[in-house]
Amino acid sequence: MLVDLQGPWSPLLGRLALSQIPYENPILAPLFVVVAIMGIAIIAALSYYGKWGYLWREWLTTVDHKKIGIMYIIIGLVMLFRGFMDGLMIRTQQAMAVGPDAAGYMGALHGYLTPYHFGQIYSAHGVIMILLAATPLLVGIMNVIVPIQVGARDMAYPYLNAVGLWITAAAAVLVMASLFVGDFSHNGWFGIAPIFELPYSPGVGVDYWMWVMQLAALGSTLGSINILATIVKMRAPGMTWLRLPIFTWASLATNIIALTSFPALTVALALIGFDRYLGTHFFTAGLGGNLMLYTDLFWLWGHPEVYFVILPAFGMLSEIIPTFSEKPLFGYVTMVLATFGIAGVSWAVWLHHFFTMGAGPDVISFFSVATMLVGIPTGVKVFNWAFTMYRGRLRFETPMLWSIGSLFLLLVGGLTGMMLAFPAINYMVHNSVFVIAHFHSMLLMIVYAIFGAVTYWWPKIFGFKLNEAWGKAVFWLFTAGTVGVFVPMYTLGFMGMTRRLDYVFNTQWQLLLDVQMLGIAFYSLSVLAFLGLLYVSIRDRAKSRVSHDAWGTTHSVEWMTPSPVPFYNFAVVPHINARDEWSWRKEHGFTDLRPDHYEDIHMPKNTGIPLILGVLTFLLGFGLTWRIWWLCALSLALIIAVVIIRSFDADTGYIIPADEVERMERAHHDRAQAAVELPQAGVPGGVTAYGQGNKPAAKGEVGAPGSGISSPEGSRA
Amino acid sequence: MWIERIARWVRYLALAPLLLLSGCSTQGFWLFDPKGPMAHADLYYMIIDVAVMLSIVGITALMIVWFMWRYRKSHGKGKYDPKWTHSSAIEVVVWGIPIIAVGFLSYYTVQGTYALNPYDPTVIKGHAAAGGEPLEVDVITTDWRWLFVYPKYHIASVNELVVPAHTPVHFRLTSTSVTNDFFIPQLVGMIDVMPGMRTKSALLANHVGEYQGFSADYSGAGFSWMQFRTKAVTAEQFQQWTQRIQASPRRLSYAAFEEYAKPYIDVSGKPEYFSGVQDGLFDHILGEVMNGKVWPIPMAMTENMVDYMKEQNARTAN
Ligand code: HEM
Ligand SMILES: [Cu+2]
Repeated sequence: MLVDLQGPWSPLLGRLALSQIPYENPILAPLFVVVAIMGIAIIAALSYYGKWGYLWREWLTTVDHKKIGIMYIIIGLVMLFRGFMDGLMIRTQQAMAVGPDAAGYMGALHGYLTPYHFGQIYSAHGVIMILLAATPLLVGIMNVIVPIQVGARDMAYPYLNAVGLWITAAAAVLVMASLFVGDFSHNGWFGIAPIFELPYSPGVGVDYWMWVMQLAALGSTLGSINILATIVKMRAPGMTWLRLPIFTWASLATNIIALTSFPALTVALALIGFDRYLGTHFFTAGLGGNLMLYTDLFWLWGHPEVYFVILPAFGMLSEIIPTFSEKPLFGYVTMVLATFGIAGVSWAVWLHHFFTMGAGPDVISFFSVATMLVGIPTGVKVFNWAFTMYRGRLRFETPMLWSIGSLFLLLVGGLTGMMLAFPAINYMVHNSVFVIAHFHSMLLMIVYAIFGAVTYWWPKIFGFKLNEAWGKAVFWLFTAGTVGVFVPMYTLGFMGMTRRLDYVFNTQWQLLLDVQMLGIAFYSLSVLAFLGLLYVSIRDRAKSRVSHDAWGTTHSVEWMTPSPVPFYNFAVVPHINARDEWSWRKEHGFTDLRPDHYEDIHMPKNTGIPLILGVLTFLLGFGLTWRIWWLCALSLALIIAVVIIRSFDADTGYIIPADEVERMERAHHDRAQAAVELPQAGVPGGVTAYGQGNKPAAKGEVGAPGSGISSPEGSRA
Repeated sequence: MWIERIARWVRYLALAPLLLLSGCSTQGFWLFDPKGPMAHADLYYMIIDVAVMLSIVGITALMIVWFMWRYRKSHGKGKYDPKWTHSSAIEVVVWGIPIIAVGFLSYYTVQGTYALNPYDPTVIKGHAAAGGEPLEVDVITTDWRWLFVYPKYHIASVNELVVPAHTPVHFRLTSTSVTNDFFIPQLVGMIDVMPGMRTKSALLANHVGEYQGFSADYSGAGFSWMQFRTKAVTAEQFQQWTQRIQASPRRLSYAAFEEYAKPYIDVSGKPEYFSGVQDGLFDHILGEVMNGKVWPIPMAMTENMVDYMKEQNARTAN
């Protein structure tokens, strides 16, 4: 071996030994039992109901972008819950461990978490929330919505899409494995040079962190290529760039960021890998290493990454706010420009994450001003949303509530971001809980937008709406949590409290730390309410079925196909005539969605290979973490072999004949007729696009040439 | 439905923590209570920035609330105009306001960056005339203690930084193992303390008193206990203090330092003093670290901290 390892190593198991399983830990051991029981219960239930085949055919091997998106969202929600539990533990520890007299439990001097465990928890919290909760949730929603919004039947590369999903899943499983096998890293989500070097982190924690990040980065990069190709090449006829729905624009910008910035992360992590596995000195303090280089490389990705997660959220607001303002988006072109303005500037500001590292005032001034420039397009966006509401007819249904909450968080986060961009202020609050509160405002802004988007698009995907009353309860409980945790946290920032304290040395901070626990209690209630929301909504789904235009005032292409969306998305690819195509059709009366003729449809075939690749990548990551070289070699060889074998498979698609399509479409329409029709659900005679009076759409008007959609009189069975 | 009723109640509760804000004074708010020109300038720029930004953000927030009220679908008074999606005048304003604000703030941010440049802060220069000769202090962090070396006096103190008030103090900072952050909220903002690197900072205390200093950047197991007291004293008191330390029996050569720098979690935070500090200790340490010297950390060191502390106490007792 090229480096000195503390502790034993064997060829068969690497660094893995029975003692690495924390069966004595009073938190982890019971948790493991619970997880194991749940796992067994799920397996038993699947076997009992004979659902294995269904699971395999419909989900595990699927290449349908909607199902892949849903699985991304499920991963995101599960990891969001895991991350929340970490957050809860961090807050509890800090509330307990204040002052030298605080009691200690379970081996800790104060509170119940030793520095060793506390460090792992906040590091896992950050990695999970950013890369395995927010990112999969956003990627999932983009996956579901973007192809439908551009009028495509699937992604450009459906198979690659599934590969990206299963690699992301491998990353999620790897980070969960670190709970029960060995330890996670303690050096923060972004890695602090040179703590991650072997002498200061001799265990496997940093290796887990590194490979989890690598896998997540790989998954995101593959996903971004796919979404870019889909938007550029798969748009329906007539969908010119300036007719692109705004969420799709945001997805385009965000994936350009991802594709160009993730390589910096991959390189930075790979160099740590060289240091830790081969004994090189890229980021060591001595022997020619340069630890500042790591910080530089990391944030070269890290800052664009935060815009990678916020731009889709902006896109979601730009879809939701017009719908519930019953009015088109104000200043579409400005919005697009602002989106690309933000994306463009986001590459030139990364140094603001380390103003305190001692760069000269010229450099610091440059990056400070560059950072402030981001405030301009961001401000423009906020104004445009506000003016979308102006002269509108606002309905405060759940998605709109989340959007407005999101808007206010953006204002708070923007204000504090502009403070942090000021080096003179930054010197005082860098590494303080003020920064934590800043980026939680921003990331919660994203979470709010995600909840809004999930509620908004849920009926599109599942054909019924989520329960309004429960949805509102989740919103208000969650908001109580947000205010309860982050107002005190900002305040503590002004009191001078810094981040990552396992033991809080200043007793003056006690009161506000206790108040935060109240916020955490509300968050916990909101988690329960969310489960209640799912339960009640699914139970009552028969009562809340909707047809294609679930909210009655929607505007973009995805609302022109049945809900739930058939797996081929569109029986006939629509012709796009306007920016807000669906509004345009409602205004012009082309609201009947039955095409006058059907065509054969070519669809990609399901394949189990992405899942196999996911399993193998997990094994590779696990083997590398524990230095089980034979496992690494074997899984890597298998990955290469599987990829090669798959590349010889030319038979990856199939044809659905036109009459089959027609039969399925009929079934969809019958179902929609049977559904409780909402009064204004886009049927002819309902409220048209933006309430141009209640002029009934003229029946019998035939769709635009090539639209493939018409409403011949009398064909309504 | 009952759940609706709950939601309605929580809505108001959500705002309750805001009440806390009104009950606060600057007591305990280190950032609002500066005791030297560095921290003072930080506060000054914060006020400028917040004033500008809050006026924009506040007005925007009020505007949104007003729109929400006026244009709500049920009973809103506002006129509904679904065709209204563009206005060149408003476009100019929405781009103009942020551009003007950022332009204005840019001027101050550049000014502030030079004023507070830790390597050569101009805000201290102005005050320098008032005080005496600047004091040089070398700051060395180990895992996990602060060592302050006063090269001119050949003394060093652990966990305690004593400086004369009204006198500029210049720091050189380095670390033996990992990165820390030097921070005394009421006197000077953060500067990274990195191994194999030298950074600089400076401060000036306007008031005699005791201030909390600590490490602000996570550095491992003992990080949460890495505090130091900063005492700003009168010139005479400072002279007396240096003389007292010069008489202390423990001496600090590099060899002694190598022993001292081994991982040690300093829960008590008791000050320690050294006299006869080797000339050029700071540069020597810097050179050693650059040549690959490390003080490694044991595996799973604080998995059980109570046990570890027992072991550490036993180790250092003999
Ligand atoms: C108006 C726009 C924004 C400005 C001016 C801004 C400014 C800053 C600055 C200067 C820092 C460095 C603070 C420090 O460590 O000393 C920072 C940290 C951070 N910001 Fe923002 N920010 C903005 C928007 C965002 C957005 C949209 C996000 C994304 C969700 C975000 C997420 C973060 C994160 C995650 C960190 C801290 C990372 C860490 O240290 O762990 N910020 N921001
Ligand atoms: Cu940033």
